[in-house]
Amino acid sequence: MPTITFSLKDLQHLVGKNLSIEEVIELAHCGKGDFDSYDEETDEAKIDFGDTNLPYLWSAEGFARLIKGILGVQKGIPEVKINKGDYEVRVDKSVAKIRPFIACFAAKGRKIDEHLLKQIIQLQEKFCETYGRKRRKVSVGLYSYKRLSFPVHYRAVDPMSVEFVPLEFKAKMNLRDILAEHPKGKEYAFVLEGFDRYPILADDKNEIMSFIPIINSNFTGKLEIDDENIFFEATGTDEDAVNLAANIFAYALHDRGFQIYSAEVRHHDRKIVTPHFFNESIAVKNEQIKNLFGLELKENEVKHLLEKMQYSFSDYKVKIPPYRLDILHPYDVIEDIGIAYGYDKIEDRALATFTSGYAMEFNEFVGKVRAIVAGLGYQEVMSPILTNKDFLYNKMNIDDAGTIEIEECMSETYSAVRSWVLPNLMEVFSKNKHVEFPQKIFEEGIVNVRKSEEIAEFSRIAIASSHENTNYTEMRQMLDYILRCFGLQCDIEDAEHGSFIEGRCARAVVKGKKVAYLGEISPDVLTRWGLEMPVAALELNLSELFEIIKKK
Amino acid sequence: MDIKKLGESLNPVERKVLKVLDNFSSFHDIMKVTGLKDVEVARALQWLQNKNIIKTKEEQKEIVSLDENGIKYLKYGLPEKIFLQEIQKPLTLSEIAQKTKLSNEEVTVSLGVLKSKAAIEIEKGKDIIISITDHGKHLLKHGFLEEQFIKEDFPKELSVLNEEEKFVVENLRKRKKIVKVETAKIINTELTETGKKLIKEKIEEGLIEKVSPALLKSGSWKGKKFRRFDVKINVPMIFGGRKQHYRRFLEEVRQKFVSLGFKEMSGPLVESDFWDMDALFMPQFHSARDIHQGYYIKEPKYAKDLPESKVKNVKSAHENGFGTGSKGWRYDFDVKKTHRHILRTHDTSISARTLASEDLEIPGKYFQIARCFRYDVVDATHLPDFNQVGGFVIEEGINFGHLKALLKMFAKEFAGADEVKVVPSYFPFTEPSAQLMVRHPQLGWIELAGAGIFRPELVKPLVGKEVPVIAWGVGLDRLAMFKLGISDIRQLFSHDLEFLRNAKVV
Repeated sequence: MPTITFSLKDLQHLVGKNLSIEEVIELAHCGKGDFDSYDEETDEAKIDFGDTNLPYLWSAEGFARLIKGILGVQKGIPEVKINKGDYEVRVDKSVAKIRPFIACFAAKGRKIDEHLLKQIIQLQEKFCETYGRKRRKVSVGLYSYKRLSFPVHYRAVDPMSVEFVPLEFKAKMNLRDILAEHPKGKEYAFVLEGFDRYPILADDKNEIMSFIPIINSNFTGKLEIDDENIFFEATGTDEDAVNLAANIFAYALHDRGFQIYSAEVRHHDRKIVTPHFFNESIAVKNEQIKNLFGLELKENEVKHLLEKMQYSFSDYKVKIPPYRLDILHPYDVIEDIGIAYGYDKIEDRALATFTSGYAMEFNEFVGKVRAIVAGLGYQEVMSPILTNKDFLYNKMNIDDAGTIEIEECMSETYSAVRSWVLPNLMEVFSKNKHVEFPQKIFEEGIVNVRKSEEIAEFSRIAIASSHENTNYTEMRQMLDYILRCFGLQCDIEDAEHGSFIEGRCARAVVKGKKVAYLGEISPDVLTRWGLEMPVAALELNLSELFEIIKKK
Repeated sequence: MDIKKLGESLNPVERKVLKVLDNFSSFHDIMKVTGLKDVEVARALQWLQNKNIIKTKEEQKEIVSLDENGIKYLKYGLPEKIFLQEIQKPLTLSEIAQKTKLSNEEVTVSLGVLKSKAAIEIEKGKDIIISITDHGKHLLKHGFLEEQFIKEDFPKELSVLNEEEKFVVENLRKRKKIVKVETAKIINTELTETGKKLIKEKIEEGLIEKVSPALLKSGSWKGKKFRRFDVKINVPMIFGGRKQHYRRFLEEVRQKFVSLGFKEMSGPLVESDFWDMDALFMPQFHSARDIHQGYYIKEPKYAKDLPESKVKNVKSAHENGFGTGSKGWRYDFDVKKTHRHILRTHDTSISARTLASEDLEIPGKYFQIARCFRYDVVDATHLPDFNQVGGFVIEEGINFGHLKALLKMFAKEFAGADEVKVVPSYFPFTEPSAQLMVRHPQLGWIELAGAGIFRPELVKPLVGKEVPVIAWGVGLDRLAMFKLGISDIRQLFSHDLEFLRNAKVV
């Protein structure tokens, strides 16, 4: 969720109204934004814009544009005049399989001030990280064009054949070294993984502008306060997203008073002029508005509401502004009608149809078992289901019989789904060595077991007692009692299990199903957990038990 | 309590102690006079003090008591006395040692002691001959100071001894393990005004201590009184078995939904991309996916039980909108990737399963409480596992107005809040989307729920037709923490047994 930082004064200036922070917070809701913070001293406001499909809002300029629509300062799609520029971009065939699309334009007529520079950098970062999928799908570069000779060339080259000084560096580096050594190179190297040629942008004098999408040149690819002439470039693997980037930046710079000049992008087989406005429209029906919001609106009301949200409307055709690509379905537009109308004004309607409520039968059963065990004096605990194999097996002195493991875990501590619950109880004991005994605890929860290609999910309950005189009998009594509560009996078989003392471990079988292990935990395992008090324990498969009870 | 009732409340041990308190005040004396064990006296004094009958004073004092040899000599006599008794006629040292069976060391010590008391004469010739003096005879007749001293009552306070006794202690301390002097706590008691009154009262005897089967059988309780208990006294803590605090909270949430007419759903922990994201119309290659970064499973990598026809529908919805009037996401849907196993990132996967199920009822109201996992750093605000509560309402003709009314009901039912705000929000699978802000009576404005109407591109491929579905998820952890009175979210899964045993039941 992108969090956007801006100066309240700058926003007021862009909107042309003296908005209070409270008003801004309310208006942010119209862009699905949540207020984060405002610092009066620095005048810095932060808003989280949750909609990852609306990147135009990730700068003060876009947010101000939204506000101007809502407040009626501006109606419909704001006009941006694109002047014809003589900036040519030549796209070499060599990028076709790597990163085929590029959109460019120039902006002039204003000087970059501090606010704009901050916003442009922020928009670039948020756009490339989130919408641009960490630059994989789209990345954006801005240049001071007075240092450039046109046409500029977009092509892919041998990584060792090109050298330039990357941003914030002093020495020339080749592309391979940049990926290996430059911080941005290391961070984004994954985007170029598997390619033997890398895309670059160079001007007509072969001055390298950028190693795309990694790093700009320290010479041309750097914007500074008071620069007047900006050259913009977006590249990527998705043509619409690349054009969207150019449109969003063109609008933002236009909102700051810049004149926008087009560029001509020449591919080997076609040429396009960018910024390219999509000119998309979508039809909506009154009936759909009624279906979604229960609103019966007249045509002029629909028009008014849509214009507030910067659409153009005529004859139930809605034209979508060029800085939006998120409209897939008429409902996407109708949501904006609802937002402009005001969610608070939409009439509440109580659900009238009667439905019976039911809890899941199995969950009710688990609740009963837990109540029985608690009734026997046991304290329930609850643990994370994510754990690790050391915990599940090494510390319990058993072998891994099939575990669901996480492919790329955040930390080793949480790298596997638990396959049984008793280790959680052992951990609880180990964390409470100085707490008064007897300690009697239990936990019910989901476990997952992998059997080659199959995953089996069960609910199991582990019960454990720790005090000087605990023993097998105590657990056997627990098990017998629980089963008796459901009218069941079990057969007990001798069992061998690494966690328990040999000869003091049993398996319980109910109606031919192995449902439980019980016994006295071996001193070896107790020592592995650092425990100095004996433990007797039992683990019962409630999923199996429930099936047995249902069949009865 | 009046004096009479106070008297009736004394147990036999307290009575025994109280009786001697007007004559004796030191702990040691009380023990000696009553013949009770030290723990019994200590407990009785504590009880009497609790009842404001006595006050106790503790002092650090130097205490003299007999050591190992002292106790032995008390029984068999001091070695110098044994020595002296043996020399009614002069004897050599070796004769004395042989007759008295004293150790060499004791013989040497006795020699020194007796000589210093002028009780013996030593004649040095071929052999050393020891004989008794007149003063020695006098000592034998009248006794040694040391001998008298060790026969006294120990332990003794050093400070109350007279000069002569102190001198004896000094002498004995120089010898091996006869007396020891230690610093110890001395407890002295003093009757309070109440205690003084009580001791003058006639304390009723023959109170019944406890009801027993024999007592009931004989009927001997009739006409008698029971000893009165001090019902205000503190008793030792006990711990019962009980359900875990957070699970109990979640159980109440379940009951609440059931009582509101919702039906519970469930789904597996290990999900596929299909149910977790693709069926929810979240495009496979889109940033909307980033907000649900999840834990993919090593093995088995792919699910084998996906319903083929639904996968086909969902693929079409992603690619071209599946005839819903939507453009779709316009990319090549990866059927293999949709089978990829992942740990459930959110509970909405269960809603997707229910919508696609043959058992789906329209109209219907559904809910789920599900353990979910999100790729995140674990700290005070993030756990690797967390619980989500969500669900949906499916019914022809319902719309955003119904969603608002539903959210307001949740605000009332779960947060006791009447003041609410429903504001626009974003979820990849709902259009429109909203969030519910409520003014909690104590917490102020909090975000309680996210909701929306499931996109047609989600509903049609799963249900087979377009029906309005109001989907919602409530964030109850903050309310749980508030209700349970805890400040660190990790305490929802606390392993601290003392905390669990003492957690407030709410």
